[in-house]
Amino acid sequence: MQNDSKRLFFWFVSALVVVGGFLALIFLSSPSSGGPTGTLDPVTPDEWWRGNEKSTIYLVEYSDFQCPACASREPIVEDIIQEFGEHIKFVYRHFPLRSIHANAQAAAEAAEAAGLQGKFWEMHDLIFKNQTTWEKQTGSEAATSFSGYALELGLDIDQFLDDAASNSVEKAVDEDYDSGTRAGVNSTPTFFLNGEKINPGSYEEFRTLIRQTIEAAA
Amino acid sequence: MKNSAHSSGKPSKLLPKKLNWWLIIISFIGFLDTSYLTISHYTGLDLGCSITKGCESVTTSAYSVIYGIPLSLLGLLYYFTILFLSLLYYDTKNRKILSFIPPLTTVGFLFSLWLVYLQIFVIEAICQYCMLSAITSTILFILGLFVLKYKKSLTP
Repeated sequence: MQNDSKRLFFWFVSALVVVGGFLALIFLSSPSSGGPTGTLDPVTPDEWWRGNEKSTIYLVEYSDFQCPACASREPIVEDIIQEFGEHIKFVYRHFPLRSIHANAQAAAEAAEAAGLQGKFWEMHDLIFKNQTTWEKQTGSEAATSFSGYALELGLDIDQFLDDAASNSVEKAVDEDYDSGTRAGVNSTPTFFLNGEKINPGSYEEFRTLIRQTIEAAA
Repeated sequence: MKNSAHSSGKPSKLLPKKLNWWLIIISFIGFLDTSYLTISHYTGLDLGCSITKGCESVTTSAYSVIYGIPLSLLGLLYYFTILFLSLLYYDTKNRKILSFIPPLTTVGFLFSLWLVYLQIFVIEAICQYCMLSAITSTILFILGLFVLKYKKSLTP
């Protein structure tokens, strides 16, 4: 390098490229940027719901039982249902990320099977609560864990095992997954408020979005 | 610093510029790659779980962290060091800098071999960003050999 200003320029450009590259990656890896949005399948009466059944304000969540982020948002969703349950209908749809979460599909099927005995939400809660236990297990170990939860909930265990292995339960999970794909879901949890994909950054933002929708509908 | 450039005599004694540039470019690619892995490691929970990243079974495996430090961060520091040394040599032409590069790239290469082994035989899942890092560290290792060859040519 011939002179100091040239050297300074060299290091300045180098630093700019390195720092700029790093920041660009942070920006690109944030989920709010991009991602195709499709159309959300309408909510049907036979789905897993909480809140006000008759409400026309729908909050739909696509979730994966094995996703740590879904488990960590679970208390937030619970608070939302507690606060706005009279005004909204919350619907849970399965979106097991099978390629990265080996036990996600089985967990969804276990919840569906429990649902056939009227205990979907109880199973849903137990599966999320114990996520750190069964997420590391092999397929057969995880199945044993899920059966344990079924026993804990007082389900008819033979019926539960039959249902969990049945085609209709598998189909129910797959239909949710496919509807998620159509809606442009590519990560979990993904929320839709009246068909619009929302991405609240905080609990407060989540509440504000829902309150505004309720007020607009009133 | 300029003195060393002068004392080295003829310009032919300098590390070939092309080799210097390749070191910069490849270590920069490795730096970006491991930066991405490190960012997704630390923000993964908040970003949610995504199929488009497809890497989670490898990057969330027990092997992805050593004593609480994510491997991707170690990789990031490794590539950053090589990048910095290559830039520093480009600027100063100080030959002492070059003696650090071949040992570092050898360690990086051996480490990558171990990680590729883990991915294929232990975790049984391939993370494309980790494989990219294996490729860049292999290229850096080869470039390191050229640096070594150049250094040998200086001492009769």
